[in-house]
Amino acid sequence: MDTTYPLAVLVPAAREGDQDAWNAIVDRFLPLVGAIVRGHRLSEADGDDVSQTVWLRLVEHLGSLREPDALPGWIRTTTRNECLRVLAARGRTRPVDLLAGTGLDAVEPAVADEQLLAVERRQLLREALAELPEGRRELLLLLLADPPLGYEAISARLGIPIGSIGPTRARALEQLRRTRALRGLGPEPVGVTGDEELG
Amino acid sequence: MKSWDELTDDELLAALGEAVAEDRAVDERRRAAAYGAFAWRRVDDELAELLHDSALDAGAAVRSSVAAPRALAFGSTGLTLELEVDGEQVLGEVVAAGGADAGAAPTTVVLQRPDADAATTEVDAAGFFRFDGVTPGPARFVVERGGRSLTTPWVTI
Repeated sequence: MDTTYPLAVLVPAAREGDQDAWNAIVDRFLPLVGAIVRGHRLSEADGDDVSQTVWLRLVEHLGSLREPDALPGWIRTTTRNECLRVLAARGRTRPVDLLAGTGLDAVEPAVADEQLLAVERRQLLREALAELPEGRRELLLLLLADPPLGYEAISARLGIPIGSIGPTRARALEQLRRTRALRGLGPEPVGVTGDEELG
Repeated sequence: MKSWDELTDDELLAALGEAVAEDRAVDERRRAAAYGAFAWRRVDDELAELLHDSALDAGAAVRSSVAAPRALAFGSTGLTLELEVDGEQVLGEVVAAGGADAGAAPTTVVLQRPDADAATTEVDAAGFFRFDGVTPGPARFVVERGGRSLTTPWVTI
């Protein structure tokens, strides 16, 4: 089981004690948790603590999470709240100049909505990538390799002619735009895996 | 912000690059810790609810110069756990509903940390207890009283 499995499969499996399913959920949302933590400018150690508290809370919460698709929202909210609580709790000993107003309502704008929107969009792009058939996903990841790979290396890696990389890239990006994640339709229905549906 | 359809292929690929980079930048220590969190999975714990956290109060973040300890309260049917976190010291009180004296039944409180052995302490006759040397990090408390066990949600202290 990996991050490309739908949440409707991963969440019930994790609830039943499947460690691989849990790890896949972690892999899928760690970047989101990390981005929200970074946005609140916590110290490295506090960031580690918040991240771990979020995952421990999710372990507790799995049993009562009726709707797997509510998970991204739950993670977002829990991470934000935990960041704010730690900032407030640490505020006693470490000045927090980031928070100019009073109370939670005043704290919210400090982490710019636009920044959170960008965080959200990056998560959607990762979800969209996970929806693509493996070949397409692999091509896009190779095109984004760090350090960059030339078309020749990509051609050798995927066993496709150099001339078809450009057109395949265009088709892959078009398919990415049509994923449920980017069309704002939410996850695919239970029982239909991306590869069977789209491959 | 542009809609996905308004982005050119190059722009979309660049945006995807940022999303993938964020994935590749994940701290492996955090990943390992998050995987490990699953070992705390229990199916039959009775969970207490967070009733109050002074760190969530209006103005908590700006009251930074006032050295007020953080106060937390958790509860479930008939049992409340109140905590005061002051530096590395945690003072607590177990309150039973209906004014029943919590000390009347032998009560213990267990402090659980993800990366350390659990610490256990007895609640005194008046319902009070104390933990020392509680360093920052995730923690939760389990109140055991008369065969009943009540677990708080995890909280970063």
